[in-house]
Amino acid sequence: MSKTNESRIPHYELLYIVSNKFTEEELKPIIEKVNAVINNRGGKITLTEEWGKKRLAYPVKNFSHAYYVLVEFDFEGDKVESIDRDLRMMSEILRHQIVSKRVKTEEDIKKEKEISQKIAARKEKEAKEKKEEKKEKEEKKKEKVDIGELDEKLDKILETDDLL
Amino acid sequence: MENIIKKEKKCHFCVNNINEIDYKDTETLRRFINSYMKILPRKRTGTCSWHQRKLATAIKRARIMVLLPFIRR
Repeated sequence: MSKTNESRIPHYELLYIVSNKFTEEELKPIIEKVNAVINNRGGKITLTEEWGKKRLAYPVKNFSHAYYVLVEFDFEGDKVESIDRDLRMMSEILRHQIVSKRVKTEEDIKKEKEISQKIAARKEKEAKEKKEEKKEKEEKKKEKVDIGELDEKLDKILETDDLL
Repeated sequence: MENIIKKEKKCHFCVNNINEIDYKDTETLRRFINSYMKILPRKRTGTCSWHQRKLATAIKRARIMVLLPFIRR
């Protein structure tokens, strides 16, 4: 990676599940509580996203539905575990997960664009080649038909010759 | 055995230029697990080894966050 990336503040992504026993109105103070925890520890929240109530893939503590909330934040230093510990103490949260997320630099975006353009160009080329192949095949077929017709005509002529 | 035509498989993530596999995107992850909810081998899916490693961690993360099941019910 480039040197500029190292100097950046690390970015993290937190996803947590709040159990179904709370109503949507009761969910809001819980979200605020979590955000306060992150802020108190010195994190900067950049995004909060509510996914709403979702069906769980398997029951957790006898709950089959739960609210999903996604939070992205910047956190300097290496003590993300402190946030993790705080969240583990909260009984409202069924599960949570903090994952470090790499922020795309301008160079990355440039590279991605270039690669995507190359891919698009290659796809176009392949499509063209396919079309050409098809055309060639059709032409071959036509030629074959032509040969067949010629044979038939020849046969007819020969037959007439025989008759004469 | 030479007569068996092998279908050429390409890595889904290499073809679409995806460098980081998001564990929250369950719809794409579901394509790489079987009906018993096991992670499919590279032989089956054609994923390259670099992406297969990332895919495995993504699926495991999704399982922990109850987005994907560990076992079939």
